Amino acid sequence: MDPTIKDFESASAELEAIVKQMEEGDLTLEKALQLYERGVQLSRFCHSRLEEAERRLEILNERGELRPAHAAMGLTPADESGKGR
Amino acid sequence: MSGLFDHPFEEEPPAPEAIDTPRPRRQIVTVAELTAGIRASLESGFGELWVEGEISNCRVWNTGHVYFTLKDQAAQLKAVMFRSAYRYLKFKIDDGIHVVARGRLSVYEPKGEYQLVCEHLEPQGRGALQLAFEQLKRKLQAEGLFATARKRPLPALPRKIGIVTSLDGAALKDIIKVLSRRHPNAHLVLRPVRVQGDGAGEDIARALKAIARVPGVDVVIVGRGGGSIEDLWAFNEEILARAIAASPVPVISAVGHEVDVTIADFVADLRAPTPSAAAEMVVTAKEESSARINRLQGRLEAAMRAGIQRRRQALHVLTSRRGLAGWQVRVAMQGRHISELTHALRRAAAVLVARRGREHQLRVARLEARDVCRSLAVVRSRLEAADGRLAATGARAVERAQARLAAAVGRLESLSPLGVLARGYAVCWNSERTAIVRDADTVNPGDRVRVTLHKGELDCEVHGTHGSDH
Repeated sequence: MDPTIKDFESASAELEAIVKQMEEGDLTLEKALQLYERGVQLSRFCHSRLEEAERRLEILNERGELRPAHAAMGLTPADESGKGR
Repeated sequence: MSGLFDHPFEEEPPAPEAIDTPRPRRQIVTVAELTAGIRASLESGFGELWVEGEISNCRVWNTGHVYFTLKDQAAQLKAVMFRSAYRYLKFKIDDGIHVVARGRLSVYEPKGEYQLVCEHLEPQGRGALQLAFEQLKRKLQAEGLFATARKRPLPALPRKIGIVTSLDGAALKDIIKVLSRRHPNAHLVLRPVRVQGDGAGEDIARALKAIARVPGVDVVIVGRGGGSIEDLWAFNEEILARAIAASPVPVISAVGHEVDVTIADFVADLRAPTPSAAAEMVVTAKEESSARINRLQGRLEAAMRAGIQRRRQALHVLTSRRGLAGWQVRVAMQGRHISELTHALRRAAAVLVARRGREHQLRVARLEARDVCRSLAVVRSRLEAADGRLAATGARAVERAQARLAAAVGRLESLSPLGVLARGYAVCWNSERTAIVRDADTVNPGDRVRVTLHKGELDCEVHGTHGSDH
């Protein structure tokens, strides 16, 4: 992933700023293209973030350890089998 | 001595002879003995009492004991509640509270005061828990813990959703059900915790601190299913309220049903009426983010298209000027170039970059194929002819057109291969001068090549070739 894009929040904020700048017009063609390319990159990043999260359920125990949840918790298999899909 | 005792003697002075009458043997007791006797008599005579009255003059001492007065319209009774009993009281003792006090009478001997030693206080008119709730609510409100300004928005896209609730409660099942339906790729981190009983508030507070420290947890849902006010009590405890206020990530409270309101609800960044609703809120935030990105993407495309359209129109205005028709050929080339760009922009940025690289090569090849300089000469002569006609429409219009044209010509000239040659580049041809040599592998040692310089040409023989690295 592009190292200049930090996270979803900053990417969507930057995208918003770019769109505003482009909507105000008054840019050279070269600058507009540059912004457009960056904008496409950012929106792609955001979309991938929206989709990419992996279904998981983890339990944080008293000792501060994270463990995957299991069926013994009383969850139906469907609650957890989505993991990794 | 009090006038109460003197008074009868003023009315009826004792007869003188009475003074000489031998008195019964006097039994003298010390103050301490008498006080102890009174104490014993009070303690055994009254036993356990339930006394109703209003609290006044209450003071909590450093020792943790509480001293106050129970009063009604006609009388007052001093009372004390020792720390050992007071700490079990849910609410804080305060002047004006109407209570029923359970306790025993006793005497504080050093002062000769009798007092009620309270074991327990029950507020009248409302439950002790209700009173405690109101007291804590007032206190935290005064501290500003409920202020709207403190409320943080939910993250647009939580990486992980923290959940603090009991493992086998309805709340967890409800939350998971909603998330399974509407946010199937959610990453949940659950910190199971006891949600009722002694010390539950403290446990939940600790769990909240722990889960907020898990990397990636951007929001925490804390709650439980419905129950009585006693069941929900942990969520009215001060320690939990303070933990919520101190949480580094936004907290959604989700306690009981719609009608159940707890202190945690007031402090939380967002109050969900039920655990299911809390899950819905998290999902809605994500869906809104998704919609927002789609909107932004649409506006980005539209802005780019509008920008290109604007430039196309500007070119159109320029080309439709009378007398500039001959220029149209050149401009059309730029126009087509822009059409190609418009098309390319509909694709992804990466593709676009590659495409622009290819287009550049195309353009260079085109320019090589034509004698740009001759075209320019034609354009110039037409412009001169146009100048004369345009003069009639005003000198300023001409100047503007000329300036535009000069700029366009300048751009074209910078792309002319002859301009490039003037900067020191050379063109290498095959010996017949029918093709340009672009690749060292297409010629062999011994071949002849011709090299065009800015001024003149060279006739050369190849001594060796070195293929490119890639």
